[in-house]
Amino acid sequence: MKKSLMTGVAALALISSGATAQDLKGEVITVSGTWLSSEAEIIESVFDLFEEKTGATVKYVGSDSFEQQIQIDAEAGSAPNIAVFPQPGLAAGMASKGFLTPLKPQVSDWVKDNYAAGQSWVDLGSYADANGDKQHYGMFFRVDLKSLVWYSPENFEDAGYEIPESMEELKALTDQIVADGETPWCIGLGSGAATGWPATDWVEDMMLRTQAPEVYDAWVDNSMPFNDPKVIEAVEEFGWFARNSDYVSGGAGAVATTDFRDSPKGLFASPPQCYMHRQASFIPAFFPEGTVVGEDADFFYFPSYESKELGNPVLGAGTLFAITNESEGAHALIEFLQDPKAHETWMAQGAFLTPHKGVDLSAFETDAERAMNNILLGATTFRFDGSDLMPGGVGAGSFWTGMVDYTSGKSAEEVTADIQASWDSLK
Amino acid sequence: MDNIAGRKPAVVWATQISAAVLVILWLLPTVGLLISSFRSADQIAGSGWWQSIFPQEQNIMIRAKSAADQTQEGALYVIEGNLFEQEGLDQGEISAWGTSSRAIAAYTSGQTADLGNKGRLSVQANGDYRFENNSEFSGKRGQRVFLTSVSPPNFTLDNYKNVLFSDGGDGMAKAFFNTLTVTIPATIIPILIAAFAAYALAWMDFKGRALLIAFVVGLLVVPLQLALIPLLKFHNSIGIGKGYLGVWMAHTGFGLPLAIYLLRNYMVGLPKDIIENARVDGATEFQIFIKIILPLSFPALASFAIFQFLWTWNDLLVGLVFLIDSTGDTTIMTRQITELLGSRGGNWEILATAAFVSISVPLAVFFFMQKYLVRGLLAGSVK
Repeated sequence: MKKSLMTGVAALALISSGATAQDLKGEVITVSGTWLSSEAEIIESVFDLFEEKTGATVKYVGSDSFEQQIQIDAEAGSAPNIAVFPQPGLAAGMASKGFLTPLKPQVSDWVKDNYAAGQSWVDLGSYADANGDKQHYGMFFRVDLKSLVWYSPENFEDAGYEIPESMEELKALTDQIVADGETPWCIGLGSGAATGWPATDWVEDMMLRTQAPEVYDAWVDNSMPFNDPKVIEAVEEFGWFARNSDYVSGGAGAVATTDFRDSPKGLFASPPQCYMHRQASFIPAFFPEGTVVGEDADFFYFPSYESKELGNPVLGAGTLFAITNESEGAHALIEFLQDPKAHETWMAQGAFLTPHKGVDLSAFETDAERAMNNILLGATTFRFDGSDLMPGGVGAGSFWTGMVDYTSGKSAEEVTADIQASWDSLK
Repeated sequence: MDNIAGRKPAVVWATQISAAVLVILWLLPTVGLLISSFRSADQIAGSGWWQSIFPQEQNIMIRAKSAADQTQEGALYVIEGNLFEQEGLDQGEISAWGTSSRAIAAYTSGQTADLGNKGRLSVQANGDYRFENNSEFSGKRGQRVFLTSVSPPNFTLDNYKNVLFSDGGDGMAKAFFNTLTVTIPATIIPILIAAFAAYALAWMDFKGRALLIAFVVGLLVVPLQLALIPLLKFHNSIGIGKGYLGVWMAHTGFGLPLAIYLLRNYMVGLPKDIIENARVDGATEFQIFIKIILPLSFPALASFAIFQFLWTWNDLLVGLVFLIDSTGDTTIMTRQITELLGSRGGNWEILATAAFVSISVPLAVFFFMQKYLVRGLLAGSVK
């Protein structure tokens, strides 16, 4: 009896999965996002799995001007079925204009249960709709880890340096490298029109290391003003590293003009131009050709203050899938992202981290990525990149330019007051 | 010109020298771009293009072969090879080398470094090295060797291969023909319409003509970005959607004000007598237009055709908005190139190369029709 029940359930499962497969045959699901070239090929390989499973066809189009284009397309009514947003701010803006379709309630439940710190991922994907009601729109897929310091293990070995376990040790190491007549850091803020963003990550990391997470949240939603002494302290913590010409390759004056993509190359120069580079998990894409992460280059967690007892906070960011043109296939594709296979397919091809608790960690391409993912899963506090959550005019505007001004010599008080003023003008 | 040169040689010299200076100034970035397009990403990041054309002293790090390649000679374990060949570099001349990032010039070429229990390494000036040890080598990665060497210029065709033949070359070839499909009608249609309009505005008398001309000239200052969303909405509502027809219409619309203005100014300058003679002889307006005006306006038509062709060829924005839909079946060269740049836009070498690939057709058009361009530029300005 029991056995027949089991087979019955299995048969039912087969039928139901078979049913979805037939439902979507011939359906075309269009997706657009910012992934290009090699990343576009990877996401297409993930979609291939979905196509095999359901018989639908997924067409992915990447664009470097996605942010503008998706708005034009949505306004004109020719939006793709699904848009992959590089950050929540833009998605929130589109949700408030009514261009996004809420996800099914079971998706929210699933994220809550199956992502590490699930509720926070639901919150990050929930925005007010056109009527002001909060709804769950965005499903996170692919996460970047920001709190990492990159270095060359062999250069550390040549010089006899140890990996610092706390911020105090990191600062001591910085001073020691200077005492040895070398330059400890490579910092570059240049990024074309987005120049300044790497510094916002520094400041956010410093906020998490000097203040409680609640203070960070208050800062991000501006219930605490931007020019609060706590924020000024965090900015000055960043300044301790970036505004000292002895600490930075090329001198403090070069920080704002060095391109962030060129900056890590100093680690691998001969002789080394610097020993450490703080940057997110994606940066190995810009290491010199042939650099093997884990051997030629490695990373350590950007440590927290031993004296402050704030645990091990982690700063991250991520891309989210949202439905911009509702169809049955679009919902099915979102559902497919719950499948560990979707995550594992990209994990095997590198530069992919996931908060999904059910994935097989052995699928990672390298040990280094497994270690990064463990930092993510083991974080005592996880906070999303604050500048991505602030309004675009601040988080992708005055915060960037303000940090460039700060590295060029303006005082932290002045810069933060300017940023707060620009925030006030947006309200 | 000869007699002027005889009278005022100083002025002629000054013009020629300043022309030469201007030409060099204009060409300099292009030459830099051309040289960069033959360099790898790491080379571009490492040194300026002006340095790359001469042999230069540089510090580089190359790994010796790893433990997997060791051979046994009697009691000795040996790893041998040539540092430059391994990396596919041209032969350089090594002056100094080292094995630690802290002492990159500890030894001169030909010397042997004693690395204790890690072995003994000797490096020759031409890059040949011999690494020997009494016990077996271990470890996955080879020993790092830091070189100070004078290397000859080193250029590569990889960027061009990458741009032209990535995904088997299908992408770029398809994009090339798509771009032609966009640009050729988008050049011809506005000329056809503008020529008729220009004739009417120049030579046919009707009420409100001056106002109409002013209106067309006024349209020149309207930025096309203003029209993107309303126009796309309109295309969607009448059922054109995104596609070739839509992009032709958009390019035509955006090109018309300048076309009409340019052609009208040229036609107005044609001798009045000819047209009046033709009218007296009983020619209809259409006959005058076809038989007299069109042949005489050829330089202006050609010059506008070049302009329109160039900017529809280089256009990305209008193509993205009106042509490329979310199925991704249609693509144009400019988009194909931005895609090659990567998600974070850091591939400078691709940028330089793609610039030269996409410039090739406009260049050919330019050289082929150069004389019309100059004549057309002067259209209406000199009478």
